[in-house]
Order: sequence, then structure tokens, then C-alpha cells
Amino acid sequence: MEFDFSPIADNWRFFAGGLGVTVALSLISAVTSILAGLAIALLRLYGPGWLRPLLVFYIDSMRAIPVLVVLVWMYFAFPLFVGFTFAPFWAAVIALTLHIAAYAAEVIRAGIESIRPGQTRAALALGMSRAQLLRKVLLPQATIRMLPAFGSILTIAIKDTAIATVIAVPELMHRAETVAGQSYRPVEVFTAVMVAYFAILFPVTRGIDRLYHRVAHLGRS
Amino acid sequence: MTFDWSVIWTHRQALLEGAALTVGLTVLTMLLAVPGGIMLALMRLSSNRLLQSASLAFVEFFRNLPLILVIYWVFYVMPMAVEFQLSPLVTALVALVLNISAYNAETFRAGINSIRKGQLEAALAMGMSRRQAMFKVVIPQAGRRILPVIASTWVSLFKDTSLVSVIAVSELAYSAMQIRAQTFRVLEMLTAMAVLYWLMGYPQAKLVDWIHRKYGVKE
Repeated sequence: MEFDFSPIADNWRFFAGGLGVTVALSLISAVTSILAGLAIALLRLYGPGWLRPLLVFYIDSMRAIPVLVVLVWMYFAFPLFVGFTFAPFWAAVIALTLHIAAYAAEVIRAGIESIRPGQTRAALALGMSRAQLLRKVLLPQATIRMLPAFGSILTIAIKDTAIATVIAVPELMHRAETVAGQSYRPVEVFTAVMVAYFAILFPVTRGIDRLYHRVAHLGRS
Repeated sequence: MTFDWSVIWTHRQALLEGAALTVGLTVLTMLLAVPGGIMLALMRLSSNRLLQSASLAFVEFFRNLPLILVIYWVFYVMPMAVEFQLSPLVTALVALVLNISAYNAETFRAGINSIRKGQLEAALAMGMSRRQAMFKVVIPQAGRRILPVIASTWVSLFKDTSLVSVIAVSELAYSAMQIRAQTFRVLEMLTAMAVLYWLMGYPQAKLVDWIHRKYGVKE
């Protein structure tokens, strides 16, 4: 068997563009997921009572349905309801956010609940408002405890972007399929792309582990 | 926009077969990935440096790759390596087992490591053999801690089986997409697919919560 890596060398600009889309999609989805997750977690903890069962239902549903299904539904079916189409990239952002935010919400809720109730009572006794309590006491400590989980959310976001290939988002995976199909060199192309994904993901997982070990003491109470 | 929901009933056979294959793939993958994970964890915990690094490399490699890429890779690259084309179903199974074994290996290793060293030492001091100490003291305790994590892995595996639709394994996602392409009833079929996944996945997610409550260890 002979290897011929020239399709990768010839198309490096095409692949670099795909890498850019992958990174952009991952970062945007991770940020929107964490923000949406924060909102969901806070509403679940402090929001009105009637909202709670709805949020729990949403979270459990997202844990039950594959992200692929959310993605194709959002891109192909949802537009038939509302009458306008999203660009594939934004459909992917919405679908990934819908899916990952449910996990982020659980992480954030568990993080906030892990701070001992004595701290809440102490802060309230000092005359802090609920908002101050959250901003100055609970969230800073909880954020540090949540770091490893945020790390997994980021890696999940990066890995899930590859699934966006099914709705033709021009990210790395999709471009790999294109080049593999045109050049009849799937072995080389998919192997090279594999190395590329590993090269993105490995430093992210390791970097967050390192960061956590450095700051973990700040989250102890 | 008119909807024609009867299309779901017309194609119920294909959808149910797809759902059965989704469940079958999940069960079969887990049955293979648990021994796979145990083997990798034992390699990692052994005193042989070579086995340790081989296991570490395997686990880190598969944990740091999108599953969909592993599926494509196994589909295109393995036939070249083994000189014959496996059926899509076997290919899918190989990719899923590789991926889930890596996750299980980490679970088993962490579970065994979470049992304090003193327990093993105490068992050895009481005159148990290493084997007895492992099987009577360490593993029963580790099992309790491992179970909730395996349950979570189970649910994500159940969801991840949908990804093998990209290599035309006719599980639920693929069947639904095929019917969608034939009938052009996009919204109906995709909604039916989502609902079927939900019907199967929701009880599993709830069961996992229950297992976590019952067996989860509070530190």
C-alpha cells in the first residue's frame, strides 16, 4: 500500500479554513452554552416554582436525544415551522447550544449547590443582597470547582462540531469528506484530520487539568 | 404548510426495526466495551511500563477524537489494513467499542484508585493473597462507585449510536432519514425520529439519576 499525502498538501488552505470554522463553531457554542446553562441553572434554583418542572423536563430531554437528531431537526424541520431557514453554521450553533446548555446547567447547579449553606447564611447576615451573594460569594468559588466540568463541556463542544458535517457546515470534518471524495485518498485525508483533531483537543484537556490543579485551593471551603 | 402524520404509521415497520437496531448496537457495544475497559484498566495498573503506556496512549487517543471521525476512519482505513471490507454494522461496532472501551478504562481505573491504599494493605496484612484482596475487598467497593459512571456512559453510548448512520447502518436515525428522503415528509419524519429517541432515552436518563442517588458516593 502506498501513501500519498499530496491531497492534503494541495488543499492546505481549504483545510485551514475548515479548521477555522471548527474552532469558531466550538468557541461560540461553548460560550453560548455556558451562558444559557447559567441562566437555566439560576432560574431552576431561584426562579418561580412553575418554571422548575419545565426546565427539568428540558434538561432530561436533552440528555435523552442524540445531538445529531437535534441538529438535523433544527436545520431541516424547524424552518418548515417558522418559515425561514438558518445558515448551516447558525443552525449548528443553535442546536449545539440547545444540547450542551442542558449539561452546562447541571454542572453549574451542582457547583452552586456544592458551596456550603453556611456561606449563604453568613453573606445574608452581613446584609448582602441575593445578587451580591451570588456574584461575590457563590459564583467565584463554584466557578473554580466547575473548571474540570467546563473543560469537558469545551471538549464536548469541539467534538460535537464534527457532527455538524451532516448539515454541511464547512468545518474540518466536512472538508475532509469533500477532499477524500475528490482525491480517492480517504486513508491519508482522514488520518491527517484525525491528527489535527487530536492536536486541538489534547492541549485543551491537558491545559484545563493544569489550570485546575493550580487554582483548586481557591475553591476549597 | 400541510402536514401528513400518517406517513409515520405507514413506515412504522422500518422505524421500529431501526429502533431495535439502535438498542441492539448499544447492548452489544457495552457487552464488548466492559471487558475491553477492564483489560485496558488492568494494563494501566500493571507494573509493566510498556503495557502502561500502550493503555494510556489508547485511552488518550480515543477520548480526544470526535466519534464520527473514528467511524469514518474505521470505515475507510481498516479495510485497507485487513484486506477485506467489513459490513457497515461490524465497522460501526468496532468504532463504538474502541471509543467506549477508552471511556470505560478510565472509569475502572479511577474506581479502583479511589479505594484507599490502606484497605489493600490491611487485606494483605490479614494474610489474603493479592488476588483475594482485589476480588474481596477492593473490587466490590470500587463496583459501587463505578456503576453510576457506567450508567452515564450507557446513555451517552445510546445517543452516540445515532452517529453510525453516516456509514449507512440502518439504525433509527438512518431509517428515519431514508424515509424522509423517499417521502419528502421532512418535518413529520424528523419529529418522529426525535420522539422515538426521546421515548427510549428519557426513561434511561431517569434511571441513571436513580442509580446516582442510590449508589453515588458522597465525599
